[in-house]
Amino acid sequence: MERRDIRADSPTEKRRGFMPAVSINPGRLLFTAGMTGRQSDGAVVAGGMGPQTQRTFERLRAIVERAGGRVEQSIKQMLYVTDLEAYYAQGRAARAAFFGPSRPASTGLVVRRLADPAMLIEVELVVDLQEPPQGGFKLEKFNVEAHGLDFFQGVIVNGGRLIYLAGQVANNPDGSVAGVGDLSAQAQKVYDNIGYVLQAAGATAASAVKETTWTLDLEAWREHGTPVRRAFYQGDFPASTLVEIPGLARPEFLVEIEVIAAVA
Amino acid sequence: MAHTAIVSEQAKPVANYQMATRQDRGRLVYISGQVAWDAEGNTVGRGDIRAQARQVFENLRQVLQEAGGDLADLLKITTYVTRLDDYPAVVEVRQEFFPDGLPASTLIVVESLFHADWLLEVEGMAAIG
Repeated sequence: MERRDIRADSPTEKRRGFMPAVSINPGRLLFTAGMTGRQSDGAVVAGGMGPQTQRTFERLRAIVERAGGRVEQSIKQMLYVTDLEAYYAQGRAARAAFFGPSRPASTGLVVRRLADPAMLIEVELVVDLQEPPQGGFKLEKFNVEAHGLDFFQGVIVNGGRLIYLAGQVANNPDGSVAGVGDLSAQAQKVYDNIGYVLQAAGATAASAVKETTWTLDLEAWREHGTPVRRAFYQGDFPASTLVEIPGLARPEFLVEIEVIAAVA
Repeated sequence: MAHTAIVSEQAKPVANYQMATRQDRGRLVYISGQVAWDAEGNTVGRGDIRAQARQVFENLRQVLQEAGGDLADLLKITTYVTRLDDYPAVVEVRQEFFPDGLPASTLIVVESLFHADWLLEVEGMAAIG
């Protein structure tokens, strides 16, 4: 509510249409999962970056509208692309049309791989639904498509307080790395650590709103990380994003997971 | 501060940052990924990670001040670098801006950022007021 765009009126902003920051008074906030150019049959739409970007934002719009909002109310956008030239050539223009004159705060990254090698772009949004909380604190997790996968496409935080976890890695309390060379062991340690931190904040796994998993090997994560993740969330998944990147803070780390949670 | 650091005995940070922070009140600010642009929109410090890091954290501070806060109001930052070898230099510069330690923090190595000259990008969320 009472959105305020933080503008410096610098030449940078004017020339590049760049929004440095957006400030709001949180009432009802929507976090989307990372969305891609998948079609209803699960295949990625044909035609490359332009059609994928279009499809991605159509799906995002469906999520935002299901939550009672509009894409223009986005306060933050995360863009993950695997082909920057294609993004500048075809993706950027397709994306801009969805925001109209409004601009969210934004971060764009070139990553190594998205969930499917055919995917060229993935986008997630945080949207201020510009409404006061409806009743007491609660999380409203929902899907707009039947996908059968281990995440929700949208999570609304109604009231409450947000908790931002640092990226969690497989470190022991003494600073040593657990499970060197062993992704299953690292996954277990990471989720143990997430559980401890959530507990210290008076939260549980069910309090998770949004999760981003950064892995060095996406296929290995599916095999070794997914069972650990399922055991942790017990079906009460957050909105989530999974990307493959070339490195983390220490060469031993195979995965890093960030969680945003909320409590009353 | 409008936020509280969350401390766990069982899970501790690997460096000088908080494991988590909770927004207790105030306004929530989402800050775009900051890159080594000067006020004119020119990239500074081509090939110089320290110069770029200084500009990035200066920009981050400036955005927060424009929002009515400062670096101490950050809930979390994420630092994206294109080369892990640059990270120690980023940590050094970052320390100058956060002498009392970081908020919750994440470090990710990406293939590249949205311009070939950019060596790092830092985004964050803050609670102000």
